[in-house]
Amino acid sequence: MSGDHIHPEPTSFLRKYIFSTDHKVIAKQFMWLGFVWLMVGGTMAMMIRWQLAYPGKPFPLLGNILYPRSGGVIPPDGYNTLFTMHGTIMIFLGLTPLLIGAFGNFCIPLMIGARDMIFPTLNMLSFWTVVIGAGVAFYSLFVPLGAAEGGWTAYPTLSSNVGTPGHGETLWAIAVFFIGASSIMGGINYITTVVRLRAPGMTWGRLPLTIWGLLFTAALNVLFLPVIGSAMILMVLDRQFGTSFYVPATMAQGGGGDPILYQHLFWIFGHPEVYILILPAWGIISDILSFFARKPAFAYKVTVGAMAAVTVLSAVVYGHHMFVTGMTAMLGESFMLLTMIISVPGEILFFNWLHTLWRGNLRFTTPMLFSMGVIFVFGLGGLTGIYLATISTDIYLHDTYFVVGHFHLTMAASSLFGAFAGTYFWFPKMFGKMLSERLGKLHFWATIIPLTIVFCTMFFSGYGGMPRRYYDHTDNPYTNELQWLNVITSVAAFVLGTAQLIFAWNVIKTVAVGRQAAQNPWEVGTLEWTVPSPPPHHNFDTLPLVTTGPHEFSNPAIKDGRDWIYQTEPLAT
Amino acid sequence: MTRLFLNSGAALALLAALAGLTAPGDEGEEGKAPAPAGPFSLAPRTAMLEITQPDKQLAWVKDIEELAGQQPGRFRQDGEHWVDSTGEYAWDDENEVYWRTVSAATLTRGRQDFVQFCASCHGMEGDGYGRSAQGLRPPPRSFHQSTFKFTKVPGEFLPNDGALIKLVHHGLDGTPMLKWAVSDDRLHDILSYVKSLSGPGEGWHDETNEIGPEVFTPPDPWVGKEKEAIDEGRKAYHVRQCWSCHPAYATTAQINEMRGGDASQTYRSDLYYSVLKKDSSYEVQGYKVAILPPDFTWQTLRYSSTPFETFQTIAAGISGAGMPTWGRATAESPKGAVDESEIWAIAHYVRSLVDTYHGKPDARAAFMASLRGGQ
Amino acid sequence: MVPTRSRRTALAALGALAALALTPAAQAADRWKPNPPASSYGPMFDNLFALITLLIGVSFAIMLVVLLIPVVRDRARPGHKAKFDHGNSLHDKRFTAIVSVTVFFVLDASVLVIAMQDLREGFWNIPKPDTPDVLQVEVLAQQWAWNFRTPGADGTFGTPDDVVTINELTVPEGRPVVVNEASKDVIHSFYIPDMRIKRDANPGAINEIWFEPVKSGDFDILCAELCGYAHYQMHGKLHVLPAAEYDTWLGEASRIAQAGYDASDTEARWAWEFKGVAGR
Repeated sequence: MSGDHIHPEPTSFLRKYIFSTDHKVIAKQFMWLGFVWLMVGGTMAMMIRWQLAYPGKPFPLLGNILYPRSGGVIPPDGYNTLFTMHGTIMIFLGLTPLLIGAFGNFCIPLMIGARDMIFPTLNMLSFWTVVIGAGVAFYSLFVPLGAAEGGWTAYPTLSSNVGTPGHGETLWAIAVFFIGASSIMGGINYITTVVRLRAPGMTWGRLPLTIWGLLFTAALNVLFLPVIGSAMILMVLDRQFGTSFYVPATMAQGGGGDPILYQHLFWIFGHPEVYILILPAWGIISDILSFFARKPAFAYKVTVGAMAAVTVLSAVVYGHHMFVTGMTAMLGESFMLLTMIISVPGEILFFNWLHTLWRGNLRFTTPMLFSMGVIFVFGLGGLTGIYLATISTDIYLHDTYFVVGHFHLTMAASSLFGAFAGTYFWFPKMFGKMLSERLGKLHFWATIIPLTIVFCTMFFSGYGGMPRRYYDHTDNPYTNELQWLNVITSVAAFVLGTAQLIFAWNVIKTVAVGRQAAQNPWEVGTLEWTVPSPPPHHNFDTLPLVTTGPHEFSNPAIKDGRDWIYQTEPLAT
Repeated sequence: MTRLFLNSGAALALLAALAGLTAPGDEGEEGKAPAPAGPFSLAPRTAMLEITQPDKQLAWVKDIEELAGQQPGRFRQDGEHWVDSTGEYAWDDENEVYWRTVSAATLTRGRQDFVQFCASCHGMEGDGYGRSAQGLRPPPRSFHQSTFKFTKVPGEFLPNDGALIKLVHHGLDGTPMLKWAVSDDRLHDILSYVKSLSGPGEGWHDETNEIGPEVFTPPDPWVGKEKEAIDEGRKAYHVRQCWSCHPAYATTAQINEMRGGDASQTYRSDLYYSVLKKDSSYEVQGYKVAILPPDFTWQTLRYSSTPFETFQTIAAGISGAGMPTWGRATAESPKGAVDESEIWAIAHYVRSLVDTYHGKPDARAAFMASLRGGQ
Repeated sequence: MVPTRSRRTALAALGALAALALTPAAQAADRWKPNPPASSYGPMFDNLFALITLLIGVSFAIMLVVLLIPVVRDRARPGHKAKFDHGNSLHDKRFTAIVSVTVFFVLDASVLVIAMQDLREGFWNIPKPDTPDVLQVEVLAQQWAWNFRTPGADGTFGTPDDVVTINELTVPEGRPVVVNEASKDVIHSFYIPDMRIKRDANPGAINEIWFEPVKSGDFDILCAELCGYAHYQMHGKLHVLPAAEYDTWLGEASRIAQAGYDASDTEARWAWEFKGVAGR
């Protein structure tokens, strides 16, 4: 079966670099797409923070180009577009392509010992579908009345014609639909590849945890992206063809829809989406912590089981996003209980990570630092989730900056740290060049310190009662008292944003003039390190025969002085 | 709907619609209001973001040279025409006014910003019947009528741009007309669009109308003698019969005394409440909405948080709501029935009523009860 | 390496820049936590919040210590070896199980139980309409204002003395207030931080919340659900009056409402009536 997947290496530029079916090229395409959009979304975040800290002051440098008609000041409609597109871009066009598109494509075949994805053409299609979605999203920024302004959650009736006339919101829905379709294609491909194309001897128990994380993510993608896809179709029908799926009878003649329907559809997708972003990061750091602690991943099977439990439970906790929409008491209490239960597998994961580090031989490489960073920021974000899972505290905190701080730490910062860890770790394999460790460590410290300040300050403003998505908190006396926290958040955010230039510089410099990477610079035994950096077109000249697990570090059975062993090497018993 | 998908022409239209070019199901022509009754129609409203015809609007009358002198750099002369950022001004010999031709591009920009910021209350067609305004009292202004309440421009004139922009930035307290954070640049376009909504031969399309300045506001003569101003204002308020619409704040005996012992005056029975004005020009879907003049000890005043603003409101009057113009347009205009110093005194008095009793139900009730007891 | 002097200059410049940027913060460091609760069940939130803070603070501290010990003790150095352990022994599994169950009960279950009690006593314990002293209030949200309707002195809705106000709600101290909310256009969220209440105002459905003010004064009403460009400007005031003063207020407000009542203006009452059709 696995031997069938050999195609001749394409020679034309177009087939080799643009419409390539090689998983490694597609991975790089996803990676650059992700980095570019992270930069766009990050710039939007800077603009949002500028407006919040210094309301009514022209945004430096870019302001006069983007908003000439208001003298460089970000106007209220521009601000709504900014936070809507910031969320959408970061989630759908930044982190998803990077974590799932880039690492999923790159790691899955190499780590399971396959020559390519099982459906290479579908893989290519998946990338170009995202490009269509990204193109539509980008185009929507230039239509009359501007891009979507209903928040990344796009609740009707604000996102119907009632609240947002113009085509921005429609195009937004179409973009999300395309990106969702791409994720479904990718998901099908990943699952089938992992199930069918594992190298001989690569049993389920020998899969690296990265692959487990990606596999569960793929399952969630296949199950829940169709839900958002259908929600988007209904929204487009509502907006363009006068249906009223989401518009209540009291508002439309002959209508009879329900805006709450959308919220259910959205969060049935939206809560798993949080895990879609975090599971690959969890998988990656579970591996990396073990790799650089030079110690087997603690309780491998329990870790996999915990990730599986999170995957299953993620589907039944979504109601905690809707505690104040008017949910009945019984439903609310059920979701509160289920949400509390999902914290158990999370706790087990933390426990296993900490135990992996315990009595290890820690090498503080950049990937290791970022993985430990995930423990820190996810710990902070996960624990504060208890306030929000509890209805009686959520009533006060819902839709305040507390929520913003919480989900940025869990979903954004943790996934981003996972993505950074993965980038620093696999960059030598992807490009054959080592990223600078010195700049990497500087990048880590310049990121985690302001990041902690940014989102922890948000906890304080949220606790003080500052609602989110306000254009100007000085407009009313209540939130004006909390404005000083905004200033601190923003200044830290500017430092955080500037620090990412270190990473950009590191990547650009390395790609241009970086030092050649060895085949196995990290001394790790998983299959991708058995092939040259970068790997040849078909990855493996002969398909590897897997004999050991991925984490046999410091095994006393290794007698040649190394503390690691390739998965293809048999352990002397 | 099924046919629509089968039909390839419709599919093309759909593609075009998605690309933001046109939208199916455009709603009516400009200026024609939809006819909602209760819940409104949900036909797609994404259309009509573009306006193709330029509009001719009344601009500064006669003295454009003088205006150009006052605002150097605003105009440049292009042959016979004057040009500024909002349009082209041409002298109309027959009507003796400058007409400004507002380009379709300006109107389109204005229309789009109007849809963004104003349409939820003022309606997609500017008829004052937006989806959020239904049942709202007082109703939002219909721009088909070209009268405005708090522009501080005397009632016989159309308000100038500066007054309208000031109004939009200030907002109207106690209503959903907020302090809009929209830049002047965009507001100019919105205003051009709003003016283009006046009916043919009405408002800004009527060459006999004149655009007026902010009401003549001499310096406050009562600076340093606010107490005397309040006493004087109290007398003027009651002698000038402000209580024929607003409540009275004195016993009938006291009013008679202020009138110099003249007891011939008859008083309405509910002297201590406002009188509902049913003859306002506030039209909502053809119905003339009644307006309740404010009780200064109770209601929130729309645009009168300082004696200066109160003076201007009284002096300029409130167009369409039954409050006449008490002051005059410029210092050169003929004097009205009431002297400016008297209006200033009334302004101080009204402010003192607000400061003493507004939001203090117990104190207010005691005060009003004392008046009723002495009636 | 950068010479020391220019590095010092650069540091000073950076410090000055940071100080300049943070000046507005230093000028107005007013408040970082909510005002004291002003409603009967408000303290429940504060107490539970404090409890959760304590629990997760301790958990996070333990986690940090467990993270930092190996960082200090187990860093890679010549001659140091990691302990080879897959963590698959029965002992390990038992240990994991015990720790996670303990954490669940200490951290989650305890909070859950208290929250359920609080909710039954507070937020979900909406007084029945026939309970004496209950004040029924209606909220109709719109872009971008709160419309409030209070029954006049006669105590029933739908009569000429209904008091309709915009952005200003007046209620008595010490009486439960039941708020029925709906929206004209998009979803809004009725949020009074000092009363510790929030609930969405949906178009086409009615949500019910209640609170009992325990101190008089003025409190801010905010909108907590994105509702368009002027979301941030949609705020109102809650006036809580002592019971006697409230009665005075209500009597006068109903009388003024009657003075302004226009019987033929059916449109003015449409919004409130459709709300009745929608859900009740």
